[in-house]
Order: sequence, then structure tokens, then C-alpha cells
Amino acid sequence: MSSEQTISRKIPLYISRSEITTEVNKTGSWRFARPGYDEKTAPCSRICPAGEDIARIEMLASRGLFQNAWETILLENPLPAVCGRVCFHTCESACNRQELDQSLAIHQVERFIGDMAIREAFPVSELVQRDYRNNSTSEKRIAVVGAGPAGVAAAWFLALMGYGCDIFEAEDEPGGVLRWGIPAYRLPANILQNEISRIKKLDVNICCNSKITETFIENAKEKYDAVFIGCGYGRSFTMGIAGEHMASDGLSFLRDLRKQTEACANYSKCAVIGGGNTAIDVARSLVRIGASPVLIYRRRQQDMPAFTHEVEMALEEGVQFVELFTPVSIEENKGGYLLKLQKMKMAGIKGRDGRERVVPDGNNGDTMQVSRVFTAIGAEPEEPWYNLPEENEELLRLSHCVFWNQELPVIFGGDLTTPRKSVADAIASGKQAAMALDTLFYEGADAIEGRINGCRVGTGSALSMEVYLAGQRKGRNPHTVLFQEINIDYFLPAQRQSPLTAPPERRVDNFDEVEQTLDEESVTAETLRCFNCGICNDCDNCRLFCPEVAIAPDKKRSINLDYCKGCGICVVECPRNAMSLEEEKI
Amino acid sequence: MREVLEGSHAVSEAVRLAKVQVISAYPITPQTHIVEALAQFCAEGSMDARFICVESEHSAMAAVIGASTGGARTFTATSSHGLALMHELLHWASGARLPIVMAEVNRALGPGWNIWMDQSDSLAQRDTGWIQLYCEDGQEVMDTTLQAFRLAEIVNLPVMVVLDAFFLSHTYEPVDVPEQELVDRFLPPFVPKIRLDTNNPFALYQMAPPSVYMEMRHDIQMAMEQVEPLFKEIEDEFGSIFGRKYGAADGVDCEDADIILVLAGTAASTCRQVISELRERGEKVGMVKLKMFRPFPKALFRSLLGNAKKVAVIDRNYSFGATGIFAQEIRAALYNHTNRPPVFGYITGLGGRDVTPEILEEIFKMTKERVTPEAESVWVGLNKHLNEMQPDPDKQ
Repeated sequence: MSSEQTISRKIPLYISRSEITTEVNKTGSWRFARPGYDEKTAPCSRICPAGEDIARIEMLASRGLFQNAWETILLENPLPAVCGRVCFHTCESACNRQELDQSLAIHQVERFIGDMAIREAFPVSELVQRDYRNNSTSEKRIAVVGAGPAGVAAAWFLALMGYGCDIFEAEDEPGGVLRWGIPAYRLPANILQNEISRIKKLDVNICCNSKITETFIENAKEKYDAVFIGCGYGRSFTMGIAGEHMASDGLSFLRDLRKQTEACANYSKCAVIGGGNTAIDVARSLVRIGASPVLIYRRRQQDMPAFTHEVEMALEEGVQFVELFTPVSIEENKGGYLLKLQKMKMAGIKGRDGRERVVPDGNNGDTMQVSRVFTAIGAEPEEPWYNLPEENEELLRLSHCVFWNQELPVIFGGDLTTPRKSVADAIASGKQAAMALDTLFYEGADAIEGRINGCRVGTGSALSMEVYLAGQRKGRNPHTVLFQEINIDYFLPAQRQSPLTAPPERRVDNFDEVEQTLDEESVTAETLRCFNCGICNDCDNCRLFCPEVAIAPDKKRSINLDYCKGCGICVVECPRNAMSLEEEKI
Repeated sequence: MREVLEGSHAVSEAVRLAKVQVISAYPITPQTHIVEALAQFCAEGSMDARFICVESEHSAMAAVIGASTGGARTFTATSSHGLALMHELLHWASGARLPIVMAEVNRALGPGWNIWMDQSDSLAQRDTGWIQLYCEDGQEVMDTTLQAFRLAEIVNLPVMVVLDAFFLSHTYEPVDVPEQELVDRFLPPFVPKIRLDTNNPFALYQMAPPSVYMEMRHDIQMAMEQVEPLFKEIEDEFGSIFGRKYGAADGVDCEDADIILVLAGTAASTCRQVISELRERGEKVGMVKLKMFRPFPKALFRSLLGNAKKVAVIDRNYSFGATGIFAQEIRAALYNHTNRPPVFGYITGLGGRDVTPEILEEIFKMTKERVTPEAESVWVGLNKHLNEMQPDPDKQ
């Protein structure tokens, strides 16, 4: 033994050390604030007209649980592959992530999930077999007028809750505006057909070539317990100018193109009147059949109601824009038409719709020689009886529907009643109608408003069917998570994933889709960018940071209040505000 | 192998050779080069250690305390304000009896903001229970770092290896870098006496009531008392392998000296030159380089200084309201001793100011000319003119 070892043995080392458990020290008695799991509302889902549980969808997708993600979408929206393409994705404008780098590409993820469901034939049986009604089934049967997005959504949600539905469609194929109004380069027909055929598996009949008459409604009470009218706007507005009969209706042109009955003659220079999405669709379709469209709009480009992304694509494809001009007459001229235009100017005052008014700019005018004139300035219901009845006490106005409580209850939805004419809003109206009818049958008409109000996503106007059916989403705190409430120490900047997009020169001579669906790798990368605002994604930070080891590591997290001191570290370290700290009630 | 190394990198090389397992540090001038090199070693894989990045020195010390409690060989480095920020946890490291090794680059504290050499930062931590070893050159700081691990792991106390800012940390010198094989022979893998084990859970460092606390503190002192003899043995063994020795204090020409200068750090090299010149002129002068400050080697100082007529202590630090700290310690060491030469305290070289041969010679002269000290502390080389340049507060 060396002398060093001798010294080593003499080194006294008395320290506090104990083999007995410290569990006897119940540090929970020190607590004056109590942490808890408190899932909140993500801003994207609050603003989504369909109220999709986006934070959860992204979380499931990030783990490769695409079928679960798809089912989560389907509880709120039966058309993910469609909406992933055509929705104006206002969700992304509300995304908290844009404060860090760029908003999440939510619509691209939805599109991927929707396409995968079609490709892999995900079954709806899992959704259908869930017992939303505690074993009670309904004998009631609903007639749905119109197989557009509103009617399809109404039937889907009613069928999920066990109601029998018959959809009546005037055209020879279902889809409404999705089938006949939106061009194939934005929504291929096979995608739509796949999405719609899915609802047939829920015992929904779709009767095409069945235009509904007023008489049908009168007799419907013998066979049906309620009617949903979601027939959209079939008749275009007229301009009221000389020679208007020589103009072509834009919506009809789009329908003829899809039915391939449009002659596709050589139009060369064409005028398209309007500034909405239909006008843009007409112009971009004209480009694809070899014409040179000029879009004429009475306001400025930035005032167009068309989605900005669509306007940009049209410009890329060579559509010319003429702003602050309105047509005054159409005359036949040299085998084509001479369009006379009036110059407009901004009036500097707001009109009743809240937009700045335009007025004629003196006698300034212009003329334009074109081969054809198309109008796309808006539309209205095709039949007068589609319109809402006069105001009366049997009429209940909801955010997206109007409920008419008579012997045969009727609900108007879709474009007829939605505050904004979009596919997502049409779906929202179908969902709201299904909730209203179900409440009517089970609890009576007086309960409708209260029940629907209880299904709002956060404090917004979107409704959740999962909440209506008392799913796990029901317990969410309505507080909408703010960017300031995200612990961004846990998120590194990451580039938003973009799909492959055909360059303008490759898309002007065909109706192929312009954007590709993201691949699985990109979708996974994109979903991992999601903050998952307000929902627990099992990151385990709360448990790892708890200085008292008071959080159980089991699957369902729980806080052992015998030891939780209420320090709040778990709440601060939660990256996504899925926890809250409350003053302890003594 | 002899290499031209920066003082900081001599420390880094020693830490690599010591096969440290966990490093945690926060950068601060003039310590940065030490941890920069270590981070590089970890990143390139030339060192198999976990480098934990933290947001403060307080957390760096907390991280190495945790790692050491888990049984890992640990290292950190800091300086000045960083060391001050660690203060609370320095007590924990020694109270917990953890063999942590830290390189401490002596730097002044602000304000006024000053990044240069000054001993106040480490000496302000003298009562935290850390062993403190002051080094003179690049070779010594490398050797001392290796010895520090050996020492710490036997006595279960943390060790601070102290080096001068810039004069040592940023100066390149030829340094003999030992072979890994020889280092492994000198410094075997760490076998912890205290180690938390998740498979066999127990609690450490919990409440120590009045009935036991005093005994724990007494044990730290008992361990401290073993440090000086143990360090001698470790140095002997190190010397038998590598051929170098430094001693807890290094006396030069003390046997027949009338006046002995005492000082630490790189200024000791200057002093060696000065006393050899003074000796040539027939002056009976010697010097002691102070290396080990905690524990303070009282007996060694008594024997080195006991026969001198006067002792001049050069402090590059100051305890406000008292004196230079080395002078205090030496006075205390000699007070109960029969041979008790008067102690002349000199303050110089604060905040990076050079301690030149001229200053040391002046200190020798002042000591020689007076029978008793002019004051407890004499501030050498003050520029009185600077004070006159102060703005007059009445005129503002």
C-alpha cells in the first residue's frame, strides 16, 4: 500500500445521504398555484369555416398516422382532397407560425391526406361504427336539394348521426360548383368523384337528373321529416347594357368546358367582365383553349374579390387586366364585337357593402374589338322559391343557415345563406343544418340556438361536429392561443414546404393540375413545423422539467398533487400552451 | 513532445489528456480560448466528452456539479464576473465534496470595465472550500491541471487552477506535452466515492440539521489538512514520470536572505530575474513564489520566511478596508510563530498594469530603507496626476 493510499483512507467524507424515501415530505402542501393540462384552441381551427381540428391533424400526420388524421378531418369536413385544393385556406392567414418564419402549409397537408385516403382506399367504417348516439337509431329521413358542397356536407353529417338521406341533383353528375364551376386544372374530376362516392357508403342516395320543383317540396312531408335546400346560385346576374344578349355567361362556359360541349373555336382576343373567382376561372380557361383574354373590372386589381393566389396565377399565364373600366354596350363589328367602355374612378366614399365606391370618370371612355364577351359578375338563385320566405317568427337565422320551422321543417344553406360564398362556408352550412335538425328531433326547436352555440370552436363562428357529438374535443378551453404564448425556444426556423408547380409556359395549353401534391417526406417535414397550438403532443417536457418528479410518465399524463409545489415550470416549459396555472383555492 | 502552445491551450490539452468526461462552460474573456479548444476537441471527436452549453456560469457550475454527482470526471473554466456569478455553487461543490477541476483566469472585476490581470476574482472566493493553485507559466499550468484531477479525486474537494489573464492565458511558450500513455499511468480513470445510481436510488445532500452540520464542515477541514502532504506526494510521483516539480511554495535564495519577496503568478518569473541581479550586486535577497493558496501552507511559509529580517509581500489584489490578501495570510501565518519578521505589504499591478523589474526593485529598495513598514499597504506606482484630472463635482 503506497503512502498515497494511506492518506486516501484517512480522508473523512461525511455528507448528507439517506437510503430512506423522501416521499414522506409532501411538498404539495407548499402549493399556492395549481398547474393542469388545459388544451386550448388553435387560431387556425378557430378561423377555419369548417372548424377542422388542425393542430391535432398536423400532430397525427407528423407521426405518420395519416388515417387517424384523415378521420379527424372527416369529423368536420367530408371533402379533404377537394378543400386541400380549392379552399382559400384562411387558416394559414391565422397561423401563429408566420410570426416566427412562414405560416404552415395547412392546405398542402390536407390535400396530401385526402389524396392518400383515395389512393389507399381508407375505409369509413371506423367513423361509422363509432356510437355517437348511445345505441339509439333514427327512423327519420331527410331530403337534400343539390349535390354541391353544402348538400353533400349536410347529408354526410346527417348520415354519420344515423339519418337516412336522399340527395336530389338537377345535373347528371353530383358536385355542383365543384363539378361544373371550378376548372379541371384546379380540381380534377376523379378527385371529386372519389370524395363524393365515399358518402354513398353511408347509405346516402344521390339522385341525379332530378330537378326539384315546388310541388315536390309540398308533397315531401309524406316521405321526409325535413328538407335541406342547398341549390346554390344557378343564374348569373345581368349587366343591363345594350347588346347584352351577345355576351356569353361565364358559368355556362365553364360548365360546357367540363362537359366538353364547348366548341373551343378560335376566339383570339376575348373580354371577360368581372373580378371574382369565376371571372378568373373563365379567363384562365380561355388561355388554355388558345384565346387571349382581357379581364375588365370596374374597380382596381387590389379590390377584386377573387383570391389573390388565383389572380397572381392568371397574370403569370398572360391574362391581361384592364381595371377601372365598365362596359356600356356591345355591338356586332367586323365578325366580332365592339365593346364600349366607360372609365371609372374611385369615389373616395364607402358604399353599403363597406367597399369604396366607383363612379364614372366624366365622359372618358374606350373601345375594344374582341371576338367574344364573357360575363362573370355574380349569380343568384335560379328559381324564385329557392329564396328565403318573408321574415316571420318561424324563421330562425343561424350564422350559415336559415331554419324554417313549419310542418315540414326546411333549412336553407349553401350560397343561399352563407355570409361568404366559398366551398368551406358551404360545408359549414351543411354541418350547421345537420346539427340544427338533430337538435330539433331530440330536444326541440327551442334548443337549437343554444346547442349550436355550444359547439363553437373557441370564440369563433366555426362549429365542430366532434364537439356536438361530445368527442374529446369538447373539453377544450375556448381561449385561442396567441403567438406570445408559444415557447419559441423549442422551435427553430424551418422553410415552408412548397409543391412542384408547373411553370406558366407548361400550363397554358392544357387543363392538367398546376400544383402537385406534396410527397410524404415533405408533408412530414411540414407537419413537424406546426406549433400544435394549445394541444398536447406528448413532448414530455412537463414531466422532464418537473423538479418534484410529480408527473407520472404513463400515457395519460397526471400531476401528483401530493408533491406538486405549484412552481409552474411545467406550464412555462410547455412549448404550446397546453397547460395552465391557476391560483389554488383554499 | 515539445510544442509552442498558448497558455490557454496548455490547459485545454491537459483536460484532453485527463480524459475528462463532462465539460460545461460559458465563455468570458480571457477564459474563452480554453473552452473554445475543448469544444473543438469534442466536436471533432479527439475527445470523448459531453460538452454542455449553458446560458451562464451559474448554470455551468450547476451542470458540472450534476455530472460529478453522477460519477463523471468534470471540468469547467471561467474568469472574473463569471466566477463571481458561480459563487453560490462554489460552496455547493465543496460542501458536496465533488472533485471538480476549474481553470480560473485571473481578471479584474468592473466597473470600470477591465478584462486584464488581477487576483481579486479568485481571492474573493477563498472561503468557498476550494483548493487554489496559482501558476507561473504554460508548462506549470498544464502540469498543475493534470495534478489537480489526481488531488481532487483523492480528497474529494474541488480544485481551482489559477492563471494570469493574457500574461499567461494568451502568451505562447514552448510546452512539453506529455504522452497519453504516461498521463494514463499518472492519472487512472476516475473511481467516484460518491455517485448517484438510478438503479440503487438514495438521496444526497438533503437537510443537515444543527446536530450534524458542524461535523460535515469539520470533515472538509480535515480533508483540507491532508492536501499539502498529499500534493507533495503527487508531485513526487509526477516528477518521477515527467521530471518536473513546483512545490506548494517555491523558495529561492531564502536560506541567508535578509529580505524575502513573496508573490504569485507570472510576476514570479520577473522576480526571479530581479533577485538574481540584486544578488550579483551583493544584496542578500530571496523570494517565495506562492503556489498553493488554499489550503494555505502555513508551516512551509514559517520555515521559508522565519529567518529573514523583513518580508515584502506583493499583492495584485486588495481587500478594501483591510490590506492585500496575500499579506494578510502571511501575517496570520507568522503571528503565533517565534521568528516573526515584519511584513511589508505592497499593492501593485492591479487591472493588468505591468509589474516590471523596476517596480520590484523599488519595492526591494523601500523595504531595505525602512526599519518598519510605512503603512500596512503601500500602493506602488500610483499616478497621482490622474486624480487631479477628475472633474470637480462643484462645477458640474
